[in-house]
Amino acid sequence: MHGVKRVRYSREALAAQKERELAKLKEFQGLTAEVLDRKKRKDHGRESFDLTTRLLHVNPEFYTIWNYRRLILLDGVFPTSTPTQTNEILSDDLSLTTTLLKQHPKVYWIWNHRQWCLRQVPDGPTDTDPNGWRQSYWNKELFVVEKMLEVDPRNFHAWNYRRHVLDNMPVKRTELSELAYTKRKIEANFSNFSAWHQRSKVLTSLWSAGKLDKPKSIEEELDLVKNAMYTDPGDQSVWIYHRWLISLGDSKNVVDREILSIDELLDEQPDSKWCMESLVFYKRLLLRKYSESLTDEERWKLGSDCEGLLAKLQRVDPDRKQRYIDLSGHSV
Amino acid sequence: MGFPLDVPLHVKYIQSLGENKDDLVYHMTAHLRMNAVYWGLTALCVMKNKDALDREEMIDFVMSCYDEETGGFAPHPDHDPHLLPTLSAIQILTMQDALDRVNIPRVVKFILSLQQESGVFAGDQWGEIDTRFLYCAVNALSLLGHLHELDVEKTVGYITRCRNFDGGFGNREGAESHAAQVFVCVAALAILDRLEEVDQDTLAWWLSERQLPSGGLNGRPEKLEDVCYSFWVLSAMSILNKIPWINADKLTAFILSAQDPDHGGIADRPGDQPDVFHTLFGVAGLSLLGYPGLDDLDPVYCMPASLIEAKGLRKGWSALPRKISV
Ligand SMILES: [Zn+2]
Repeated sequence: MHGVKRVRYSREALAAQKERELAKLKEFQGLTAEVLDRKKRKDHGRESFDLTTRLLHVNPEFYTIWNYRRLILLDGVFPTSTPTQTNEILSDDLSLTTTLLKQHPKVYWIWNHRQWCLRQVPDGPTDTDPNGWRQSYWNKELFVVEKMLEVDPRNFHAWNYRRHVLDNMPVKRTELSELAYTKRKIEANFSNFSAWHQRSKVLTSLWSAGKLDKPKSIEEELDLVKNAMYTDPGDQSVWIYHRWLISLGDSKNVVDREILSIDELLDEQPDSKWCMESLVFYKRLLLRKYSESLTDEERWKLGSDCEGLLAKLQRVDPDRKQRYIDLSGHSV
Repeated sequence: MGFPLDVPLHVKYIQSLGENKDDLVYHMTAHLRMNAVYWGLTALCVMKNKDALDREEMIDFVMSCYDEETGGFAPHPDHDPHLLPTLSAIQILTMQDALDRVNIPRVVKFILSLQQESGVFAGDQWGEIDTRFLYCAVNALSLLGHLHELDVEKTVGYITRCRNFDGGFGNREGAESHAAQVFVCVAALAILDRLEEVDQDTLAWWLSERQLPSGGLNGRPEKLEDVCYSFWVLSAMSILNKIPWINADKLTAFILSAQDPDHGGIADRPGDQPDVFHTLFGVAGLSLLGYPGLDDLDPVYCMPASLIEAKGLRKGWSALPRKISV
């Protein structure tokens, strides 16, 4: 149970509440017993189907009932339906899941049923247009999931579903348009780590397909991140993403430049934990990766900078003190 | 530090859960009953009160959920079998030393039948996939002594494809890192002796950044703290031997502040309604933090450490040393 406040009721209030609950409980138990009994008897008729609708409205987490509903459809309904009828039933079931998802956006079983429905859509409406129905559903799905992400931009069910839709649409959208979508989400809120994550996936795919020039696009990403860093240097989403970008590259110049730019930010925000944390990481990256191109003096300077920063981090971020101690004790 | 852990009250709370037969929530959560019994029993074990629930009654309940047709367990009689309650059933029977009641080869066959071509597991015949189900399979097969029947390469291959740029893992390929999924993936890799697949530096960093100024832990960046992450995050950290990377005292205080001082139980956060799920994961977190008077919990299997050790299944995790007093 998440986010339900604890309330102290008086004895009378508690009794009154129990009374009200009792009626609901009786109804739920009666309905449950009836449906489970029909399930046991393998009754796959229309009446049983309607009873599952009622029960799922009361309790959409009752996954056994979703399973039973699908059995009814597969065994009792679809075999005697025309493709048009099947399509209409599925359309109704999709609406049912839309209604329920609005109230319960984090219930796995509703999302599952929605995916199942989409897999069942028959060929049609005509022999010459066998993908017509499917196509029109899938086009709507992206819209539905965008609505869900407007309500809660971090709902991971919705993000997973979004990826599922993008992978399964009969006519695919380009990954560049998905890249643009993540940028819109990020610009609306730099703290939307889910969008940064999605962006990391889309970029990786675009790079490996050769559709984007990797070094050039890393530069563009660094620009986007810089903007976010200056907006809120305390937001870890941005720094995690930045570290990933830098770790991907193989240019010492880029690391040097980013260190300079973070140094500037640190001048403005002298206690910024994320600036210091990142500086330590990038300076140690120089020592690890580009040691041969450094002079002894440069190496010594980088090492002592890191020690100084780690000592200060122990003070500004005492909760993670032991981590900074461990890092400073460890050679690169 | 506010209240200490009120063990007698929490034991009473867990005992009372089975008595709420006129409670709507009790009936609405029947699909989680097997898990709830596992949560309650494990919490009692950690609080050294294993006998507070009747053993025979519990074993009978578990066996009443066994599905002859598939070889899996349902969460409740007349519900459908699924991997989640199947793992809970195996864990309960292991803790109660009653695995002899089970047709082990049948259960193993049920579990293995759910592995997909990609290496991940479906939860049941309807095909939802999730790294949670993969963990259920690996954990249960290990407890049943049948891990050798698993295609390890295929399984590990799927987990590594779920690894993200932040070092964490999601619930399927492409999904965002989430502390609970990090736990299932890291623990599965620990059971399979394949922790080298984890980018340990990056992941331990990400995990340590789950702690918020309140002391509580969140499950993803820029989200709220919640007691259940005390276990998801801490278990992964203890498997990586990095618990000292967060402030243990502040987390301890946060968990304790989420106790219901009147009726017992622990909630997701202070002031909220307690439930048995957060009661276990709060107590589990406290155990890993070395809270005095508790038994050691194995973070890989989320079961009593002594039992896992006796079965020869202990991996190289470390918790904080047990304190003598608060
Ligand atoms: Zn929680």
